[in-house]
Amino acid sequence: MIEVKNLSKRFQKDSMDVRVLQDISLTIEKGEFVSIMAPSGMGKSTLLNILGCLDKATDGTYTLDGVPVHDMDDDELSAIRNQKIGFVFQSFHLLPRMTAWENVVLPLIYSDTDGNVKERAIEVLTSVGLADRVDHLPRELSGGQQQRVAIARALINKPRIILADEPTGNLDSTSGEEVMKIFRDLHAGGVTLIVVTHDMDVALQADRIIQMKDGMISSDRPTAVRSGEVAL
Amino acid sequence: MRTLRMAKQALSAMVENKIRTFLMMLGVIIGVATLTIIASSVIGARAEVMGKVEKWGLDQIMILAGAGRKPGVPQPVPTTLRIEDGLAMMSEIQNVKDVSPQINRRDFPVKYGNKSSYGVLVAANPNWASVWSTPAETGRFLSEDDTGRLARVAVIGRTIQNDLFEGDDPVGKQILLGNNPFEIIGVLEPRGTAATGIDMDSRVVIPLSTGQKRVFNQDYIFMIKIVLHDPSKMSQTVDDVRAILRERHNLQSGVEDDFTIVTPTQVMNIAAKLSSTFSLFLILVSGISLIVGAIVIANIMFIAVNERRSEIGIRRAVGARKRDVLLQFLMEAVGVATIGGVLGIFLGLIGLEILSGFMKLPTAIMWQPMALALISAIIVGLAAGIQPAKKAASLDPIEALR
Repeated sequence: MIEVKNLSKRFQKDSMDVRVLQDISLTIEKGEFVSIMAPSGMGKSTLLNILGCLDKATDGTYTLDGVPVHDMDDDELSAIRNQKIGFVFQSFHLLPRMTAWENVVLPLIYSDTDGNVKERAIEVLTSVGLADRVDHLPRELSGGQQQRVAIARALINKPRIILADEPTGNLDSTSGEEVMKIFRDLHAGGVTLIVVTHDMDVALQADRIIQMKDGMISSDRPTAVRSGEVAL
Repeated sequence: MRTLRMAKQALSAMVENKIRTFLMMLGVIIGVATLTIIASSVIGARAEVMGKVEKWGLDQIMILAGAGRKPGVPQPVPTTLRIEDGLAMMSEIQNVKDVSPQINRRDFPVKYGNKSSYGVLVAANPNWASVWSTPAETGRFLSEDDTGRLARVAVIGRTIQNDLFEGDDPVGKQILLGNNPFEIIGVLEPRGTAATGIDMDSRVVIPLSTGQKRVFNQDYIFMIKIVLHDPSKMSQTVDDVRAILRERHNLQSGVEDDFTIVTPTQVMNIAAKLSSTFSLFLILVSGISLIVGAIVIANIMFIAVNERRSEIGIRRAVGARKRDVLLQFLMEAVGVATIGGVLGIFLGLIGLEILSGFMKLPTAIMWQPMALALISAIIVGLAAGIQPAKKAASLDPIEALR
């Protein structure tokens, strides 16, 4: 469970105090599928980075599965990213000179898992439909396939939370739909999913949509109601 | 295990950028290769000098007339050293096996017909051949009979033979030493050039008695070479020799010796000093190459850190700690330097092969200079890698992923 209270993020830019996030409070239950929508530069990526333990808030508290994360040091945050969180980025962020399976096992280098890591990679790659692309380099794969390798990498350590920043932003609609299908399957399997997007079609697949404006939450409501409105 | 996995990552990064990796290595390769070559040839040259010293005789002492402790500084000719001094040592010091008194004169004119040359004239007794281990190659050496009758006979070296007779057999021919006619009775075995630069084959040996009475007209001698029974009692014997000479020369205590005793140890010390000068040069040359190598590695590592920002960001996002990133980049730098060091050693060994083959340089292939070279390479890698690795580790993952 993710619990954030009075979170804010400021930084100095040209001796001006820039407030990226202001007084954000929100709770995301285990297994929820949440979309965060906002125009560019409105703080959604910063929020995602803080939730993903890549960044730290200036003020406020962040509790993850009952553990206070806001006063952890860099090593502890690295361990949480490694064990509990999987990242999916808009531009995939695969290492270009490594094959699909080598990219997938990257998180295992930094965890205490031994044994046959390639076997595990093949297993996860198979679950995202890439059983025949194990030894391919990223440049030999389509965008959709690269994003699925990135998802496999996010899944290799069986994290409870997947954070995705515009996961379909660089994909055509067919590939995007494939990626969203994998996300729906993960959601069905009990994984907590937080997706940042400005594509309404993507956002609507979540249980709940959080909209942000000027570093604050402007609306937070379940999609069922919204789709109900559409149905009406 | 984590470290091992990280080492694998570092290694694969090196393999992925072969050309860059090679360029990074170049400085270290050159540095280590020079270090290997110079160290081995210095050690080799030193071994050769030591070998010469041993050949010269570890069981021998030389006594030179005069107090000149600095070789090469001209001094007035001392007249106190006598044949009788040698005989006294022979009879009074138990450890003395043989003494060979002699007079030397450099640049002495030697003539045959209308040809002339300059040699080192040596007036000595028949035992000179065994004490200096230089017997006659053709003809015969001096005999006791020659000494007894002040015979005008000479044994010449190969250089003199070539100069005056163009390789013909000179035995039985008459030559002029200064203005004195001498008959050649033999040719010495060739001995080449001494460490001091003197051509040992330009020597002309005549009987000591003949030299004193007929050529130099002097009753004093230039030096005595002493052969010992037991070389381990060298210092005791040196003390005995000094005591006898001081007594015989009537030197009061406090007066400086009027002779100089040269032992093999002293000759070895001179050789050691020589090679320490070379060692300084060696440290300078390879030190500079290694520093240049370190600068090259550090520069390219900084460039690599900038180029691989996104890789660093990805690794941090999937759970790499700062020190994991630091370790990976440090291992890359050290790995590059170590492999460069190994390649440098191989290159150095090839260079040595060429040097000893074509240039007839004495070399000694030993593990110590190679181990030193390899350790220096690793230190270079650490020194060059630490700053770039720190920079990589301190990158903000969010910035790096942007």
